[in-house]
Amino acid sequence: MSNEGQTPDLTGDRGLQTVRESTYKYALAGCALLSVLTTVGIIGVLFVDAAEFFASPAVTLGEFFTSTRFSPNLEPVSFGILPLILGTLLITFGAALVALPIGLLPAIYLSEYASERTRSVLKPMLEVLAGVPTVVYGYFALVYITPALNVVIRTLNGALGTQLPTLGLFNGISASIVVGIMIIPMVSSISEDAMSSVPDSLRQAGYGLGATKFNVSLRIVVPAAVSGIASSFILAISRAIGETMAVVLAAGSRPPDIPPTQTAFGLIPYIAPGDLLGLYSESAATMTVAMINIAVSDLSGGSTAYQSLFAIGLTLFVITLVMNVISDAIASRYREEYE
Amino acid sequence: MATQTETGFGQVSRLQGTVFKYLTFGASLVGIFALGVLLAYVFWDALGLDSAGTVWYLTYTVTLLAPLVGFLAYARDRPEVTAGALEVVGLTLAGGMLSFAAIIVLIVIAGPQVWFTYFLTVVAPLVGLFLYGQYNREATWVGLAMLGAVVVGPIAGTLLLGTFGTVAALLGAPGVYFLSLVVPGAGLAAFLAADRFEASRRVTATVGVVLPVLAIAGVPLVDTVPVLARSVWFAVLVILGLPVGYAVANTARQPARRAALALPAIAVGGFLVGEFVVGALGAAQPSPWLDWQFLTSPTSSLPANAGLYPAVIGSVFLIILVSIFTFVFGVGTALYLEEYAPASGLFGTATRLINVNISNLAGVPSVVYGLLGLGIFVNINVQFGPVVYAGIGAGTVLTAALTLSLLILPIVVISAQEAIRSVPDSLRQASYGMGATRWQTIRNVVLPRSLPGILTGTILALGRAIGETAPLIMIGAVGTKYTPPGGLFDTLTAMPMQIYTWAFLPSEEFRYGVVAAGVVTLLIVLLSMNSVAILVRNKYQQEAY
Repeated sequence: MSNEGQTPDLTGDRGLQTVRESTYKYALAGCALLSVLTTVGIIGVLFVDAAEFFASPAVTLGEFFTSTRFSPNLEPVSFGILPLILGTLLITFGAALVALPIGLLPAIYLSEYASERTRSVLKPMLEVLAGVPTVVYGYFALVYITPALNVVIRTLNGALGTQLPTLGLFNGISASIVVGIMIIPMVSSISEDAMSSVPDSLRQAGYGLGATKFNVSLRIVVPAAVSGIASSFILAISRAIGETMAVVLAAGSRPPDIPPTQTAFGLIPYIAPGDLLGLYSESAATMTVAMINIAVSDLSGGSTAYQSLFAIGLTLFVITLVMNVISDAIASRYREEYE
Repeated sequence: MATQTETGFGQVSRLQGTVFKYLTFGASLVGIFALGVLLAYVFWDALGLDSAGTVWYLTYTVTLLAPLVGFLAYARDRPEVTAGALEVVGLTLAGGMLSFAAIIVLIVIAGPQVWFTYFLTVVAPLVGLFLYGQYNREATWVGLAMLGAVVVGPIAGTLLLGTFGTVAALLGAPGVYFLSLVVPGAGLAAFLAADRFEASRRVTATVGVVLPVLAIAGVPLVDTVPVLARSVWFAVLVILGLPVGYAVANTARQPARRAALALPAIAVGGFLVGEFVVGALGAAQPSPWLDWQFLTSPTSSLPANAGLYPAVIGSVFLIILVSIFTFVFGVGTALYLEEYAPASGLFGTATRLINVNISNLAGVPSVVYGLLGLGIFVNINVQFGPVVYAGIGAGTVLTAALTLSLLILPIVVISAQEAIRSVPDSLRQASYGMGATRWQTIRNVVLPRSLPGILTGTILALGRAIGETAPLIMIGAVGTKYTPPGGLFDTLTAMPMQIYTWAFLPSEEFRYGVVAAGVVTLLIVLLSMNSVAILVRNKYQQEAY
């Protein structure tokens, strides 16, 4: 471009160059458009087919959200999503019980206590937990965790005389455990980022007032990072709701029966603990599992069962999208701004 | 806090803090420990270590494990040796994976005639143009010409398939692969020797000649091995041999790193000695489910005959297509959003919306992407005037690859954006200051600096793509298939799909044997990909300033 002579050629041969610059610009803009088209595609596909589903005489919108039975293929067909939502709630709640504490404590350790060397080893190892394919987690739950849990339960029942139910081949508890393990890195890495970005001056101020490291960690750093922690929890739960293969393999294909609800003080409805244990010890299909089952059994297209796939998918999409948006909003709205 | 009644002034009970510290540390290990135990179980089952005798374990502990531990202890405090060992291991792994993929793509899938045609019409012009661009930096038309070659080359290739196919048939398969792999490989070796190692002219010439000579000299030896074809030998020699040779030469050249060469010596030597001793003693050996038969045969109802071959080929197909789609569109999107898109005004709002949109797409469950693929690639029938688009088939290679590409595209875009953002603005300003245009700045300044980050992100996202099962089920991929896919519009099965199908079989031998072997294969592929990604990142992090 530059030439060696005394008078640089400032005008140059711009024709080809202009063509080149704008060719690349519009080619790259075309790439960026693809992400918008993906969103349009997802929403379009889900809404069009879900609308056809609700237009069919076999089901109404009210029935879809209130009926307590889901059997798309067996006569009489019924498309109540409630059992599937109960299954999803069971698995997600169990996974959250595993992942929230086991994700938050490492975040505190990595951000406050760990030496640089420990951190550089521990952090990638935690990330590995999210890198294992979910179908492999499902296999682990089915083949190793469920038999191991059954041994523990029999031992407990024998030693303590408890009446814990033994687990079926497919059960909610092993699915909850593996989904929980899978989402640990999500909680730990986002929470740790939030805690690491708490400015050091706050910690120094705490030490200056005579606080111990323990006090500084729990009373200063964690409260200051609470928006990031909350957003990590919500993201992790949203991931657990959308989790598919681990639950398909571990929790089986039968939706849970909705248990009788008890009422405390005539006001607060609750599920008896025994019923809850029963739910976890048996097959607990989630929304995602129901979708896989329909896809495996009936892909010819056009049938009501096939279209219910998109209605469930739409419900799932809306739930996870709302949770992701809430998580974003919490992270930005309630973030403590420091200089 | 301070318990001032029992301890004196200025003294604080440390018990609480210490307990908490170890509690958090313990919690960090819980997940890792759980996964470690599960992995130990599945490797134990897949490799059939149950049936190995004590003698076998003792032998390999002495010949392989103890020297390896010794090497690790030695390398622990010598970063140069560690770096050298990582380079040797990483390039061997990468070369092994690449040559495996190349054998499957060039020899099994394409075959010599198709490969030779597209080599002449697409690969050779592209490489030629690229080299000319490196040689004559002022030729501004080279980039556009390469873009043109990408578009025109495949069309020309398809038209000329007959002519070049006849030429290829005359050359014979080994001739084709010699011309298209060994000769360029020799050129690359000579270039590396001259450019990286600053070798003298004579050494450079020798290096350039060694590869073809080795290739031809190896032929009589290769012919004695029944399963090894000459074409395979050429591919492995070039694609595995070059990186390994480079790593070994680079390590041997630096005295501080030289000790790293002990690692491959220990691994190979220890294995050979172990084999010999075990054979001589007649010790009981493990009976692995994961063996050559497993990798080369299709699935079967008999556990002993079941294999993963069609699924492996299907996954290779997917990974190649997905990596092309996502790299092109992912990097393109990231470049547009970071370098071109307006940041303010009405269009600035649009840019922000696209960014929010991408981060939300990354959180959409994979099963919903399956529905998207089902909706736009399978069950669709739209008419644009005379053109009818009726999808690209249920469970075909192309449908699966496009669906998985859409699934990981947001992840690739986000990581590429981070990598591009980390290039300091001063570098861009300096480039503009010297009169470079926006594209020249991107090509010469931004892309070279951000490429390691982009590659790391892309490889990690590809790892997610090969493990995904739910979208494949949704688009109608079959669970049981006895032949590998033959083309883009053929149906496929993939490794996770096959694992899913097998996992429901009740037989113990399937559950604890065949599926375990499938899981271990998948995990080994993932592990190799992730280690390559980490190596890329580490290598370039050291060089960044």
